[in-house]
Amino acid sequence: MPVITLNKERFSRFVGKQLSVDEMEKWLPWIGVHIDEKGPDYVKIEVNPNRVDLCSHAGVARAFKGLMGWETGIPEYKIKHGKTVLRIDKSVSNIRPYMLAAVVRNVKLDEDAVAELMEIQEDLHWGIGRDRKKASIGVHNLATVNAPFTFKAVAPNAVRFVPLDKSEEMTPQEVLEKHEKGVAYKHLVDWAPKYPLLVDRDEKVLSMPPIINGELTRVDRNTRSLFLDVTGTDYNAVKQSLNTLVTTLADMGAKIESVTVRYPDHTEQSPNLSPQQMSLHLDHANAMLGLHLSENEAVKCLKKCRLDAKKSGKNMLDVMIPAYRIDVLHEVDLVEELAIGYGYYRMKPTLPVTITVGEEHKAGKLARYVEQILIGLGFTEVMNFTLTNEDTHYVKMQKKPGSPARLANPVSSEYTILRAALLPGLMQNLMDNRHESFPQKLFEVSDVILINPNMKSCCERRLHVAGVVSYPNANFTEIKSIVEALLTNMGLKKWRIKAIKDSSYLEGRVASVSLGKEQIGILGEIHPQVLNNFTLENPVAAFEVDLEGLVGKS
Amino acid sequence: MPDLRENEQKTLLTLQKLGGKANTDQIVQQSGLAHAAVMRAALTLTEKKLVKINEKPQIAVTLNSEGKLHAEKGLPERRLIDILVKFGNQMPVEKAVAEARLEQSFIPIALGWLRKKDWATFAGKEKLLTVKGEPPQGADEKLLQLLKAKGETLLETLDKPLQDAVDMLKKRKLVETREKTIRELELTEVGWQTVKKGIAIVEEISQLTPELIITGKWKTAKLRKFDVTAPGPTVYPGKLHPMRAIIQRAREIFLEMGFTEIRGPIVETAFWNFDALFQPQDHPAREMADTFYLSYPKLGKLPAKSIVEKVAKTHENGWTTGSKGWGYRWSAEEARKLVLRTHTTSETIQFLSKHQKPPVKVFSVDRVYRNEKVDYKHLAEFHHIEGIVMDKHVTLRDLMGTLKTFYRKFGLTKIQFWPSYFPYTEPSVQATVYAPKLKAWIELCGMGMFRPEVLAPMGIKYPVLAWGGGLERLAMLELEADDIRVLYKNSLSWIRRKPVCL
Repeated sequence: MPVITLNKERFSRFVGKQLSVDEMEKWLPWIGVHIDEKGPDYVKIEVNPNRVDLCSHAGVARAFKGLMGWETGIPEYKIKHGKTVLRIDKSVSNIRPYMLAAVVRNVKLDEDAVAELMEIQEDLHWGIGRDRKKASIGVHNLATVNAPFTFKAVAPNAVRFVPLDKSEEMTPQEVLEKHEKGVAYKHLVDWAPKYPLLVDRDEKVLSMPPIINGELTRVDRNTRSLFLDVTGTDYNAVKQSLNTLVTTLADMGAKIESVTVRYPDHTEQSPNLSPQQMSLHLDHANAMLGLHLSENEAVKCLKKCRLDAKKSGKNMLDVMIPAYRIDVLHEVDLVEELAIGYGYYRMKPTLPVTITVGEEHKAGKLARYVEQILIGLGFTEVMNFTLTNEDTHYVKMQKKPGSPARLANPVSSEYTILRAALLPGLMQNLMDNRHESFPQKLFEVSDVILINPNMKSCCERRLHVAGVVSYPNANFTEIKSIVEALLTNMGLKKWRIKAIKDSSYLEGRVASVSLGKEQIGILGEIHPQVLNNFTLENPVAAFEVDLEGLVGKS
Repeated sequence: MPDLRENEQKTLLTLQKLGGKANTDQIVQQSGLAHAAVMRAALTLTEKKLVKINEKPQIAVTLNSEGKLHAEKGLPERRLIDILVKFGNQMPVEKAVAEARLEQSFIPIALGWLRKKDWATFAGKEKLLTVKGEPPQGADEKLLQLLKAKGETLLETLDKPLQDAVDMLKKRKLVETREKTIRELELTEVGWQTVKKGIAIVEEISQLTPELIITGKWKTAKLRKFDVTAPGPTVYPGKLHPMRAIIQRAREIFLEMGFTEIRGPIVETAFWNFDALFQPQDHPAREMADTFYLSYPKLGKLPAKSIVEKVAKTHENGWTTGSKGWGYRWSAEEARKLVLRTHTTSETIQFLSKHQKPPVKVFSVDRVYRNEKVDYKHLAEFHHIEGIVMDKHVTLRDLMGTLKTFYRKFGLTKIQFWPSYFPYTEPSVQATVYAPKLKAWIELCGMGMFRPEVLAPMGIKYPVLAWGGGLERLAMLELEADDIRVLYKNSLSWIRRKPVCL
C-alpha cells in the first residue's frame, strides 16, 4: 500500500490553516488513511489501494478540508481550451492502443514537488496501471519540444535517443536490453514487431512508453509548463490515471489546458474532468448504516467527502462524483461516503436483534474430545504447520517420496509441500526438544492434506491425531495401551490390531488399527535409523490415527 | 516431655552416649542415621532448646595422592631400610635401590631422608650403605597409617608428636590441611533432663502402606512428620498448546454469542478465494508474491455454471448488480488455479451460497496462508478468526456492537472504528482495540458489509456483516510473546511454563 510522508508545514499550506502534528494524527484517520508513524514535523500515512487520489499532499488536503467542513462539495477544475494536438497513429493499435494527454501551465515545482510528482506517478503505476501494464505515465517539460505530437510504433532500431538518466543515445532495442527500466519492463512490449514511441513535430523523442522517458524532456525546478501523457491497454485506467494526476497538479496551483487527441477513427478533447453521476437511495443507505439521516443531512455528509448531492425525490439523492474518485463502482460506495461524512466515531454500536443458537462443528468437537483424552493420559499438545518439506516428511522418516500437494511458489526450502501425516512434525518436535527433561509425551490433533480427485479442489483436508512417547523405556506395549485407551474413551468398539510392515517403524513392533474393513491408524516403535536421522537418543513409540471418518459418529 | 520424632530421639540418645557433646560426624557414625537426618534433627532439637550447636573452626588433615601411595607402600626411606635389613645390613646403594624397586623419582628422596633421620651411613667409592639396625616406626609413619585408616582427621584430635608429624609431612608435600567449620552438638540442661528421664524409641514410618491400613497397625505405628517445606521434584502436567487454548477461547466466545462453526477446504480454487469475493484477476493480492499457488495439483473444478457466469459478468460489467464492474475479460482458467486459502472468507461465501435463508450466524477459527517471508512479525501459515451475520435488518452499527461484545469477552474493553478498505466489503471498517498490557491501540481485525457484487451472484438477498483477522496478534498479547514465531516453535519448556489459565 502507498505510504506518504506528510510534512506539517507543507500540508498546512495546502490546507490553508496552520495544523499541529497532533491535530493531523487525530483527524486524518477519519478520512480513511492509516497513521503509520508520527514525527516532530511529519505524519506518515498509509493509503488504501483504492484511493490513489490520496497519494499527495494536495490530494490529502483536499479530502481533509472537506471532512473538517472547511471546504466542502465537489472541487471545480477549469480547463482552458488549448491548441496542442496529439495524433495517435494506427500502428500502435495492436500494441498500446490508448493515449490521453494534457498540458499543464503555471507550474511552480520546488524540489519537494518534483519528488512528489515522481511518487504519485509510481503510486498510479501500481494502483491503477497494474505495474504499467494497463496504464503508464509520462511527464515532460513542454518547453523542450514542439507540438503536434505523434504516438506511433517504430522498428526496434529505427531511432536513437538519450533515455532518462543516461548520457548516450540508444535505440529502443538497446533500451530494452541495457537500460535498467528496459530490462524490468520489456515484457510489456518486446513481443511486438515494433515498439511504441512518442515524438514531436521534429521527430524528437519524448518517451518510449511504457518503458522510459527521454532525457530531453526532463522536468526540474525551473520547468513552468508540462506535457502529460498516459498510454495504456485499458481506456478507463488511462483516463483515471490522467485525471488523478491533472487534478492533483491543479490543486497545487497549476492551470490545465486541453489537448486534441486524434485517433484514426475519432477525435476527443483531453482531459475530460466531467463528474460521474449516480443516484443514492437514502432509505436503503440508512437501513445499511443503522442511521436516520434526512435528505439535507445526507447532502451535508456527502459534501464533506468532496461530492456534490441534491435531493431528486423522496429519499432520493443525485450525487456528483469528481473525476479523480476512481473507486466509486456502485451505489454502495456512496453509502460508505455517507458514513465517513457522518463520522464513524459518531456511530453508536448496537447488537443485532437476530436470535440464533450456536453449535460447534462436529470435527471441532471430536478434536476437543480427543485432546481431552490425551491430556488425561499425560500428553502435551504441539501445533505444527501444515507446510513442510520432503526431507522431514519422507527422507528422515525412511519413506519413499509420495506425491503430496506441492507449492508452485515456495518462499523457502523449509516449506515446499503440504503434510500428508502428522508424525514427521512430532519427530521434529522431539528433535528440537532433545535438551528438555524426559519422559516427553507429545500429541497433535490437526489437519493433513491428501490428494483426492473427487474433491473440487482435488485435495482433501482430513483430521488426524498422532502422538509420540520418548524416554529410555518407551516401547510398543505402552503405545498400544495408550491407543486402546484413546479408542475406548472415544466410544469405539471392535477395532482390530494387526502386525504390518512400515519402514518408519521397527519390524515386528508395528501394527495397524482397523475399524471394520478400513485401516484407520498405525502404531509402534520408531525405527532406530529414523531416530538417528532425527538425532534422537531415546527410543520413541508413536501412533497416528485418521479421525476424519469418525467425525460426527462417536 | 516434648513430642520427639524418631530421628530426634536417636540423636539425643547418641549424644548422651558420647558424653553430652559430640560433632555431627561422630553422631552419624554412632547412630547409623544419615548425615542429613542428623542435621535436620539437630536443627529441630535446637528449636526445642534440648541441644545447642557450637560451631568451631577446625583444621582437617588429609593425604594427597603421593601421601596415599606412601601410606600404602611405606615411605621410600623405609622401603630401602627394609631391604638392607633383609640383606644383612650392608649393600651398595645401586643394588639396594634395585632390590627395593624404588621408583626413579623417589631415590634421591629416600637417600636424603636416610641421612636426615640418621638411619644409615654411606662409605667408599661404591657408596656402600650400612645400617645400624631396624629403626622404630616414626611419628610421621604413624600419621600416614592413621590418615590411611580414618581419611580426613581433625588436627585437634591428634597428640603432640602426631601434630608435629603433620607439619613435617606437609613440608614433604604428602598431606594437605584445610579449614573447616565443625558443628558440635551439646546437650542443654533441659536436654540432659530429658534423656535422664529415659527415651523409649518408637519406630517411625514414612510410607503408609496397604498392609498398615488393612491390619490396623497404623493405630500404633508412628507416622513420621514431614518437613512440608522441603522442595520436591518438578512434574509437568499434560496440557493444551497455549495457542490452542486461545483458539478454544475464541471458539467458546463465538458459541456463547450464538454463532455456528463452519469448516471448509484449505486448498481452494482461486474462484472461491478471490473471484467470488469480487477481487479482479489482475488484483495485486492475487499475485504470486502474496498467495501460495499449487504446482500439484494445479487446477480445480469450478462450481455450477449458473454461479460462474454471474460472477464472470459481475467482474466484466457489473451484471445486474448495479455496479460498473472491473471492465476486463474474465478468465475461467485463472479462476480454476488452486491456492492455499488466504482467508477463511473463501469458505464463508460458499456457505452463504448454500444457506440463503436468514438468519445465518456462522464463524470459523482456522488456518490461512500468505506467501510471506517468516520473521518476528509474519508467518506463512496462521489462524484467522471470522464471524458472519446475515439477516433481514442488520446494520453497520450492529456489526460494531457485535465486535465490541466479542472483544470485551477477551478482556479488551476499549475499541474504535475507522474507515478502511477491503475489496469485498462496503462500507469497510478497521477496528483498533486498546491493549492495556502494551498501553497502546492495536489493529486486530477488519470488517464490513459484503458488497452487492459479492452477494448478488450467490443469490443472497440480505445484508451480510463480516469481520475477521489474524488471531496470532491477540495470542501474542495474551501469551506475552514479542516474536510471533514463538507460538509455533513447540519449545517444550515454553509450553510447560505457560499457565493453563490465561
